[in-house]
Amino acid sequence: MGLLLALLIPLIIIGILAVAILLIWISYYNRFVVLSNRIKNSFSQIDVQLKKRADLVPNLVETVKGYAKHEAKIMKEVSDARKSLVTANASGKMDARIKAGDALQGALGRLFAVAENYPTLKANENFLNLQTELSSIEDKIAYARQAYNDSIMSFDNAVMTFPGNIFAGKFKEQAGQYIKIPEAERAPVKVSF
Amino acid sequence: MAKEKSKEKEKHVDFRDQISANKTRSVFLLIFVFVVFIALGYVIALAFTLDVFAILIIATLFSIFYVWITYAFCDKIALSSVGAKEADKTRHRALYDAVENMAIASQLPMPRVYIMPGNQINAFATGKDPKSSVICVTEACLQKLNKQELEGVIGHEMSHIANYDIRFVTIVAVVVGAISIFSQMFLRGMFYRSSSDDRGSGNLIFFLVALVLAIIAPIIVKLVQLAISRKREYMADAGSVEFTRYPPGLINALKKIKHEHEPMKVPDAVAPMFFSDTTKQRILEMFQTHPSIEKRIKALEAM
Repeated sequence: MGLLLALLIPLIIIGILAVAILLIWISYYNRFVVLSNRIKNSFSQIDVQLKKRADLVPNLVETVKGYAKHEAKIMKEVSDARKSLVTANASGKMDARIKAGDALQGALGRLFAVAENYPTLKANENFLNLQTELSSIEDKIAYARQAYNDSIMSFDNAVMTFPGNIFAGKFKEQAGQYIKIPEAERAPVKVSF
Repeated sequence: MAKEKSKEKEKHVDFRDQISANKTRSVFLLIFVFVVFIALGYVIALAFTLDVFAILIIATLFSIFYVWITYAFCDKIALSSVGAKEADKTRHRALYDAVENMAIASQLPMPRVYIMPGNQINAFATGKDPKSSVICVTEACLQKLNKQELEGVIGHEMSHIANYDIRFVTIVAVVVGAISIFSQMFLRGMFYRSSSDDRGSGNLIFFLVALVLAIIAPIIVKLVQLAISRKREYMADAGSVEFTRYPPGLINALKKIKHEHEPMKVPDAVAPMFFSDTTKQRILEMFQTHPSIEKRIKALEAM
């Protein structure tokens, strides 16, 4: 009887430990999955905004054309930047999309600077709406980039730090592979609205 | 150096830890309430020489029913108690933009957006979880705050949502309400009965205990509620800066609140949900739902 008990107790302890480790492993595994999904999700947030912006560009170009016929060069620049964004989106390469998005943003910035010279254009309601819409999209892209970088950081931290790194397994390969996007400048401060 | 490091650590309390802490606290609080309810019911039954068993059953059923109903309708109750209306997407574009920006930055679903009347810059968030969350701001927020300041305030509310503070504060509010209803019932019942009843001396002791409990219980719960609420305001301020990456926005919003003199009348139960104290500064910090604005600004400037 005493012998049986002496055998049983270590077995029970080992059993409890095994179950505890399994539970911890499961909870870490699920957490890594959640975190890596968050990276994908936050990138798609950037994507959504980039697409929204690309969709607004033809409308903007049409509106500006009506008032500033002589600015063909900047108009072409904007249209081209939009085209290359669409191609980049189709290619599926992340950094190419981000770069094309930045190029479009730069071209739009120059277009709005040129528009300053055309008072009638500046007073056009459609133009004003597009301008607010585009600057709000610009803000959202900046925040989405920040969220994307944040989600990469929390994934990497979870996988690389102790005790997560013990349970990381296949997630270890993923860590450090995600490329952070340079933080974007937010739209300039408006005094009030 | 070492000191700086520990400060850094304090600031970066992981959201996840806060969330699970809030969830456990919520459970404990609910258990605490049931214990208080049952204890109150027991003592009251003894004091009035009522059937203890019957009173206990009634007390338990009442508390389950009350907590369930108020929890299920918490957001609607909170919104209607301040007279809030859903914001219009085109008319309140700036507000929608600010909320959407903060939802993107915090990687949470977009909350519903409401506006309540009021000349005081203030806001609150409610709901049971991030998916069913609501952010409500006063009209003054739209008139007096610029974009960065508004984002700071919304970021603060978003952080309450991310931390599951909204659920916890809702449960606290429900509990505070329940206990005060219960002790009110007892105190009223006491005056009603005291003239006609002749009690034994044994009952008198229980009666006194019941009386003291009925008076003290709501006060204790209230103090607990206030203490919890103050602590999480700092957390939410830090969270807001994490989302906006722009401390001056929130700091300027707080400064604007400091210089305005517009007290607001809101029900006690929802006051701790708000962005800043709805009433004038009370003498003792212990009785305030929020830390002083000066302290909050100082903590933000140290970041």
